Amino acid sequence: MIYISIIIGCILGAIIGMNTPVISYTYSSYLAIAIIAALDTVFGGITSVIKKNFDLKIFLSGFFGNAILSIALTYLGERLNVDIYLAAVVVFVGRMFTNLAIIRRHYVDKWTNKFAEMSHKNKKEVKE
Amino acid sequence: MKGKYIMIVSIGLATLILTAVMFTQFKTVEQTDITAIETMRETELRAELANWKTKYEEIETKLSETEGRIAEYQSQLSNSAESETILEKELDETSMYLGYTKLQGEGIEVILKDNSNTAIDRWDLLSIVNELKFAGAEAISINGERIVSTTEIATVGTQFIFINGNRIPAPFTVKAIGDKKYLESAITIKGGYMDEMKLYEKTVEYEVKDIVDIPAYSGAIKFEYAEENK
Repeated sequence: MIYISIIIGCILGAIIGMNTPVISYTYSSYLAIAIIAALDTVFGGITSVIKKNFDLKIFLSGFFGNAILSIALTYLGERLNVDIYLAAVVVFVGRMFTNLAIIRRHYVDKWTNKFAEMSHKNKKEVKE
Repeated sequence: MKGKYIMIVSIGLATLILTAVMFTQFKTVEQTDITAIETMRETELRAELANWKTKYEEIETKLSETEGRIAEYQSQLSNSAESETILEKELDETSMYLGYTKLQGEGIEVILKDNSNTAIDRWDLLSIVNELKFAGAEAISINGERIVSTTEIATVGTQFIFINGNRIPAPFTVKAIGDKKYLESAITIKGGYMDEMKLYEKTVEYEVKDIVDIPAYSGAIKFEYAEENK
């Protein structure tokens, strides 16, 4: 169910994104870091769904909070002449990998169990 | 059950916003030349922009200049065949003036010989050249040495006469192209060159000719110290 909603969201988002006007290149670096933050939150949300501890408030605050915080950090870095956004990228991408690993393990375990059950059943049927 | 729906819808919405922003970003990045300005900041880019603008203006003025010049050249091009012939003619004339061309025409031949009493010296040669020039001689040579603007007629030691840096032995054959009547009368006039030579007992013969051949000057005219004063 959740994957269907994600796919629909992706398709609709792509259509909307294609039709929006091009933003100035000056702000595109902020947007890029916000995208990374949001991507991290979405993966986090999927993980929490799998772990069955999904909380809407945490999800939404994370989605917008992380994006805004990363934009603010990037802006600050620009003022200070330090590439702070690199730190944000490292943290978010690292977390993304962690979340992806959790998701991957979950499904690998699930399917391994399924196959094991199926083969077990088959053997039983053959014996009978 | 309700919580599950909220969960699904909220994640779907989050993905929607995310992909929408992502595609906007894709478009922005695609439309910008990312390789050069990727690492630049806004202020740098502004400075760069101003720089390029001045460069552009400079190049534009240069372009218009060059276009004007091309138009000029093109207008000249139609006349180029004409101008080429004119230039060639000019070149020929100039080399004729300078003495770099073999010449032929009516004129006079004067032969100066040493005799038992007197020898021909450089003053005799200088004055005959001068007389012939005065009579309108267009080209003069002495024993095959063309007289040009830098030609010297000098004596080294006591007897050797040098013309154009070459030692010239007697007898001397002075050839001149010009109006043959004028040339003849210029040297045979009463009290003129021939009379003077006779006075000093020098042997001078002359012959008026319809065709006199005068060789070209073989040396080089160099300007080491002189330059054009504009």
